[in-house]
Amino acid sequence: MIEATIGRDERFDPARTRGQGRADLFRSFRTAVALGWKMEANWTDPVLFFIYSVAKPLASALILVFMLQVIAGPAGQALRPFVIVGSALWSLVVSGIAGLAWAVLDDRERYRMLKYIYVSPSSFVVVLLGRGIARLAVGAMGAGITLAAGVLVLGVPFDPGAIDWPLLLAVLVLGLATISALGVVMAAICLQTRQDSWTYPEAVAGALFLVVGAVFPLSVLPDPLQLLGLLSPLTWWIAGIRQALFPGGPSSIGGTGSAWLRLSGEVNPNDLQIVLVLLATGAVVTLASAILFRVGEGRARDRGLIDRTTGS
Amino acid sequence: MTAPGAGQPRPALAAPVLPAFVGRPTAGPREAASWTPRQVIANNLRSVVGRAYPRIRGLTREPSWVLFEMLLPFLTTSSFVFVYRALDAPQAYIGFVVLGGAMTAFWLNVVWMMAAQLYWEKDQGNLELYFAAPMNVMSVLFGMAVGGLVMSSTRAAVVLLVATVVYGVTFSVSQWGLLIAVFILTLAALYGFGMMLASLFLMWGREAWHMTQLMIEPVYFVSGLNFPVGRLGLLGAVAIALIPLAVGLDAMRQLAFASTGVTGTPEPWIETLILVAMTVIFVGLARILLHSMEERARREGRLTVRWR
Repeated sequence: MIEATIGRDERFDPARTRGQGRADLFRSFRTAVALGWKMEANWTDPVLFFIYSVAKPLASALILVFMLQVIAGPAGQALRPFVIVGSALWSLVVSGIAGLAWAVLDDRERYRMLKYIYVSPSSFVVVLLGRGIARLAVGAMGAGITLAAGVLVLGVPFDPGAIDWPLLLAVLVLGLATISALGVVMAAICLQTRQDSWTYPEAVAGALFLVVGAVFPLSVLPDPLQLLGLLSPLTWWIAGIRQALFPGGPSSIGGTGSAWLRLSGEVNPNDLQIVLVLLATGAVVTLASAILFRVGEGRARDRGLIDRTTGS
Repeated sequence: MTAPGAGQPRPALAAPVLPAFVGRPTAGPREAASWTPRQVIANNLRSVVGRAYPRIRGLTREPSWVLFEMLLPFLTTSSFVFVYRALDAPQAYIGFVVLGGAMTAFWLNVVWMMAAQLYWEKDQGNLELYFAAPMNVMSVLFGMAVGGLVMSSTRAAVVLLVATVVYGVTFSVSQWGLLIAVFILTLAALYGFGMMLASLFLMWGREAWHMTQLMIEPVYFVSGLNFPVGRLGLLGAVAIALIPLAVGLDAMRQLAFASTGVTGTPEPWIETLILVAMTVIFVGLARILLHSMEERARREGRLTVRWR
C-alpha cells in the first residue's frame, strides 16, 4: 500500500506548491474582477443597474450645483465646471475606497466565504483588489455620466480639442493606483471591525473630501488643513484632471491666500509639478497601505477575525 | 433481563408545571400557551429591550465607532460649510448645513439599520428565529428603532454641538415648544418610514443593497439637505409630501432660523401636521406590510432563502 502511494507521488511535482508566480496572480485577479462585476451587475436589467449607478454621483453634483445657484445665482455658472468635475471625480474615489472594504464585509458577514478565500492559494490582497476594481468600474461609469450630464444638461463649457491628453493619462493612472491603495487600507481596517462598518469607507471619504479641494479651493481652509491637503495625493489627482480637462481654469491648490503660493512663490502649480507631487505622495500612500494591510491581516489572523460574523 | 420497573403499574401523572414559559404554574401546554394581555405586552416590551440592547451595548464594544460615526461625519459636514464660505454665503446657510449634517445621522441609520436590517437578518439566518419566536415582529422593529435612535442621537448631537461652536452658528428660535415637537415627530416619522421600508426591502431581496445607495444622495438632494428645499419648486413640494427628512428639516429650519425668513414652503404648523400624518401612515403601513410579508414568506417558504 505504501509502495503504491509512493508510486503515485512520484508524479507529483513539488514545484506546483510554489505556484506559477505572476501567471497565478493574474489569473486570481482576473477571476476576482469577473466575480466582482457579476456580483455588482448580473442580477438586474441594464436600465435599473444604470439608474442605480448614476443616481448617486449625479445627485451629489446636483446638491452642489443648487448650493451655487442659491448663493451666487447666475454668477455661479462660472464655477460649475469646478464643482461638477470635483464632484464626479469624488464619486470615483468613494467607489474605489469602499469597493475593497465592502468586499471584505460582503464575503465575511454575508456570504461567509472570506475564510475559504483566505486559505485558497490565491493572494488575498490580489483577490480583494480584483473585487474592488469591479466597483471602481461602476464608479467610473457614474463619474463619466455625471461629467456628460454637466456638459450636456448643466451647460458646462467643454472643448474636447483642448484636453491635455498626456497629463490626463498620467494623472489618471497614478490617481487610480492611489485610490486602490486607500481601498486596501480600508479593507485592512474593516477586517478588524464589525459588520456595522459598512458606512466607514464613506465616512473616511467624506472626511478626505474636506481637505482635497474637490469642490472648493484649498485657500478657504485654515493653514493646517491646507497643508494636510497638500500632502494628500487625491488633491493633486483632482487638480491634475481638472487642469487636463479644463486647461487654464481655476485651480483648487493655488490662488490668492493659498498655502501653495506662500510655500512655492507661484500662483498655481504647473503640470509637471502636479504629476511629480502626485507620484511622490501616491508612492508614500501605496507603500503605507501595503504595510498597513500586512499588519491588519496578521492581526485579524491572530485574533480569529477572518471568519467572525457580527450583528447589531 | 428486564428493565427496572417493567411490569409495575405506572404512577398517576401529576399536572405538568411549566413556570419557565409563562411565569406561573399551569395545568397543561394549552393553558401555558394562552397568555393574558399583560403577559403579551410584557413579552413584547422585553423583545423591544432585547433588540435594542445589542445596538446600545455595542456602542461600548466597538471603539472605532467614535471615530468613524462621530468625528469623520463632522468633517463631511464641514466640507459643505466651506463650500458656503467660499461663496461668501450668509451665516444662516452655515446653520442650514450644520442642521442638515446632524439630521443625516438619523437618515443614514434609518436606511442602513432599519430599512435594510431585515434583509441582513435573513442573510444571517436570524429572520426565521424572529418569526418563530412568540412575539410580535413589530416589537423587533421598535427595538431596532430605539437602539438606532440612541446610536444616531449621539452622532447628531456631536455634529450639531461641535459644528455650532466651531463655525459660530447662531440660532434664532421663535417657538421652542413647536421646534421640540417637530424634532420628535420627525424622528417618529423617519423611523416609521424605516419600519415600512424594512418589509419592502425584504421583498426586494438583493436589490435592497442598491436601494440603500439610491436612498442617500438622491434623497439628500430632493430633501434640500444643504439649501432651502423650496428652491427646488415642484420637486421640493413632492419631497415635502413624501419624505419625512425633507418636511422635518424644512420645519426645523423655519423654526430654528426664524430671522432668516426662509419662505416658499408650508408654515411649520402645517408641516407638523404632515409629520403626524406620516407617522401614523408609515407605522400603519409597516404593520400591514410586515404581516403580509410574513404570510407570504411562510407560504412560499422564503424565510430561510438567503443571498437572493
